Amino acid sequence: MIKEASIRQPLILGHKTYHDITNDIVSPIEGKAPKQWKIAITIAAIIALYGIGNIMYLVANGIGSWGLNKTVGWAWDITNFVWWVGIGHAGTLISAVLLLFRQRWRMAINRSAEAMTIFAVIMAALFPVFHMGRVWLAYWTLPLPNQFGSLWPNFNSALMWDVFAISTYFSVSLVFWYIGLIPDFATIRDRMVKPRWKKFYSILSFGWSGRAKHWTRFEEVSLVLAGIATPLVFSVHSIVSMDFATSVIPGWHATIFPPYFVSGAIFSGFAMVLTLLLIMRKTMRLEAYIHMKHIEYMNIVIIVTGSIVGVAYLTELFISWYSGVEYESYAFINRFSGPYSWSYWMMMTCNVISPQLFWFKKIRTSLVATFILSIVVNIGMWFERFVIIVTSIHRDYTPGAWGEFHPSTIDIGMFIGTIGIFFTLFLLFARYFPVLALNELKTILKVSGESYKKEDNKKH
Amino acid sequence: MAHDNKMHFELPSKVKTTAYVLMVIGLVAAALGWFADKTDHHQYWWANLLINGFFFFAVALGALFFYALQYAAEVAWSAQLKRIFEAMYSYIPIGLGVIVVVLLMGQFHVHHLYHWMDSEVYNPESPAYDEIIAGKRPYLSAWFFWLRVAVYGAVFIYFARLFRKWSLQEDEVGGTEIHYRFYKKSAVFLVFFAVFSSTLAWDWLMSIDVHWFSTMYGWYVFSGMWVSTMIFATLLVIWLKGRGYLSTVNDSHIHDLGKWMFAVSMLWSYLWFCQYMLIWYSDIPEEVTYFKERYDHYMGGMWAVFFVNFAVPFYALMARDAKRNFKYLTRVGVIIFIGHFADLYMAVVPGTIHGHLEWGFGEGHHTTFVGWFEAGMFVGFLGLFILTVLGTLSKARLVPAKHPFLDESEHHSI
Amino acid sequence: MANKVFHVMYDDDQKLLDAAKALVAQGIRVKDVFSPFPVHGLDPVIGVKRTRLAIASFMYATTGTLLATLGTWYFMVSDWDWNIGGKPNFTWIENAPAFVPVMFEFSVFCGAHGMAITYLLRNGTLPGMPASNPDPRTTDDKFVMEIVTEQNESMSASDIEAKIRATDVYELSIKDY
Repeated sequence: MIKEASIRQPLILGHKTYHDITNDIVSPIEGKAPKQWKIAITIAAIIALYGIGNIMYLVANGIGSWGLNKTVGWAWDITNFVWWVGIGHAGTLISAVLLLFRQRWRMAINRSAEAMTIFAVIMAALFPVFHMGRVWLAYWTLPLPNQFGSLWPNFNSALMWDVFAISTYFSVSLVFWYIGLIPDFATIRDRMVKPRWKKFYSILSFGWSGRAKHWTRFEEVSLVLAGIATPLVFSVHSIVSMDFATSVIPGWHATIFPPYFVSGAIFSGFAMVLTLLLIMRKTMRLEAYIHMKHIEYMNIVIIVTGSIVGVAYLTELFISWYSGVEYESYAFINRFSGPYSWSYWMMMTCNVISPQLFWFKKIRTSLVATFILSIVVNIGMWFERFVIIVTSIHRDYTPGAWGEFHPSTIDIGMFIGTIGIFFTLFLLFARYFPVLALNELKTILKVSGESYKKEDNKKH
Repeated sequence: MAHDNKMHFELPSKVKTTAYVLMVIGLVAAALGWFADKTDHHQYWWANLLINGFFFFAVALGALFFYALQYAAEVAWSAQLKRIFEAMYSYIPIGLGVIVVVLLMGQFHVHHLYHWMDSEVYNPESPAYDEIIAGKRPYLSAWFFWLRVAVYGAVFIYFARLFRKWSLQEDEVGGTEIHYRFYKKSAVFLVFFAVFSSTLAWDWLMSIDVHWFSTMYGWYVFSGMWVSTMIFATLLVIWLKGRGYLSTVNDSHIHDLGKWMFAVSMLWSYLWFCQYMLIWYSDIPEEVTYFKERYDHYMGGMWAVFFVNFAVPFYALMARDAKRNFKYLTRVGVIIFIGHFADLYMAVVPGTIHGHLEWGFGEGHHTTFVGWFEAGMFVGFLGLFILTVLGTLSKARLVPAKHPFLDESEHHSI
Repeated sequence: MANKVFHVMYDDDQKLLDAAKALVAQGIRVKDVFSPFPVHGLDPVIGVKRTRLAIASFMYATTGTLLATLGTWYFMVSDWDWNIGGKPNFTWIENAPAFVPVMFEFSVFCGAHGMAITYLLRNGTLPGMPASNPDPRTTDDKFVMEIVTEQNESMSASDIEAKIRATDVYELSIKDY
């Protein structure tokens, strides 16, 4: 028999029954689409189309339409890639790592965070894929022999590792998410009146009936998938960091990169989850399920990961000096005082200083402050990648090759476009999929529900 | 509490004797070792003192970290075990004392574990001048170094004493006020710890291979410290349960401790591998020196340490039943505990004697490893550590009386 | 005598659990339970065995590790060895650290997907499968226990019914089949 300490705040507010949970989450799907949603998705779709237009232009005209040059051969594309992959880390972290840590508050946020993960990883994948230039040859990254001989892709290359890491991460996250969705789709199926929609959810629910044995397997699968997904989350961003760290470029080659990138990814991912959830809880009236305590917990995760990132920044800076290696020190001096120093200080302010504001309880329990800071963190994390990538390579070993990077309109258009595509997908999710994990919330209702807790406390 | 729990731990005289015997073995090993060590300035002897000093200090510091983490993360299941961690971190001052002795002797040139403590390397006129070390002078200068040592000591001891005081207070007064104070203060401690756990690893360990640097090093040392802490705590809890204490600590608690052993072992493996792989892959002369040193003289040892500390917990602790089988968990724990001691040995020794150990009574002969001497020193410190920990454990209730999470912890079931 | 199936509905998981315990204690075999979420503590009562999916996953993952090891050896060493950036692929072991990431990812890939596919197949939950829960409310807030006379030959149908009625039933439907 599980008991929760009385000093813990309830996670589900108000007097809810099992039926109320179903109702609160499924009824927005059954009703007509609200006007705000239609407006939002129209705007998102227009931005998405703009992005797709840019991508088509890029494919037709080649990578030269980006602002890259011979010194700065990687810039916005890879910055965006890492940024999106980073955002895509919170979802699986919430559903996997927090499941292993038995954090019950995760049940209110895991579904939408996972959806966000999947969409963010798709956005991330667009950049390296289109950077290939001839996208129709993307299958060459798979271990297939080249048709002109027995050449295979290079398994020593961190870029090749990335192909495996990102595709594994994407597909495993998708499966993890969908397996959790199946029982919830069954709930919607059994409530739906409109026959066409009933059919739709019936197909999605795979004929789930909620048998005892199936639930046993469901729980085991969730736990094992969480166990597998946890090292996966770590490995994916570690491998992304190895794209840089395995090189011999000062500023890129640092052994701390893998864990520090992972922490940064969780940091930005949580910030994005907060941005989305603060809007969602308001428009979909989910305040009873995602309330202040949830937001506070997420803000604490942001302080922790933000501080780890801060410690890593300072470690890098210190060791670059301590190493006594001239090039290593210069890379960092150039970062904070060179032509891109504005981006370095932007990163420091947004990522290291701003999350420290959450030490104040007033700030971390304020919706407005949280919302603003979550966006600030996301901007900061974009700049972090920009700083790492561009400032490390724009000044080569030979000053004759020094250069600068200026984004082209296609660079900018494609980045903005991915935000549009991302929001389009997320809005579709919010409209047609159960945004909270119904069946999981029901399991914690009696332990963490407000009215149940009150009754329980009276008994003592 | 209406439990038939044995609430007060009494240190059995048999255990006390055993601990003293272990310490005597350690002393004998140390005394004989001093005469057998024919390296310059008894370098190997001092290196072993540093390893043991740091290892058990790290186990104690890891306990303070984990203790603070439990409060900061609002963890309930471990509430019943908090006295175990309090007992473990009571060793911090002693451990720190051993390290300070080693450092002081280095400062007075009794040994040369730390090459940078020699003032000649900073003198451009001297043949011993070392440009790279001279470049690090601002950080490694004596006053700044000793200031850091003093600050670490002050902070760790301050928090350790404060937490212990509050914890005992809570047993008397109850309520939630102390609990919330703990919550805040432990977050503050974790901030200090986040910085100091890295810098102390640089100061005391990384600076042995003074030309070498790795940004990961601090976190890698931290993960090794944490896993040793979790193992010792698990073994201690199992031992106490075997003697009829902690009756409300059930299989689920042990299972959770086992999970920590497993998880932190994997964290350590991940950090070890990332550091090794990135240095191996880039093959930059400034960096590979560290692994070159180990490859030249300790290749077998280095890989053995990695595989024991990674593969043993990975395969042995993955299954659910493995973490609920007390005997099995104890055996695996002992193996990894020694494995992490060996890991620290690998971090310290190659940089201090570079594979050239002159050893023997009378005429010294060349070797890399002795066996009885290292084991003897380890056993001696283990005895001291056990005696300190169990001594503290017997001074207060074994399970806190009025912890607000106690009820939830007692109902823990997974 | 026609075979009968009892669908006993409860409106609370605790009531279901108590009833299941009571009925099993009286020698009735419960065929299955349909619930909107996993009811903890139910499995041992109605005799659901522990699943072996975790072991299956471990085996899939190990297969993945072996395949990836074999693959990297074949692609990079045996079939066509290159010297890329001073890292020659003349032996597998010399390059092993560079193959670890792919080996890890592929193991996870096989472990996760292998288990997920096994799970769906064993459950019989696949795209287009019809639902088999006796009442649509069981995916919302009701709990249904299924008891069939076929598995309880020692008792008469009315006997069983009486025993069921003694529990805290919300609704009971009895059908011939």
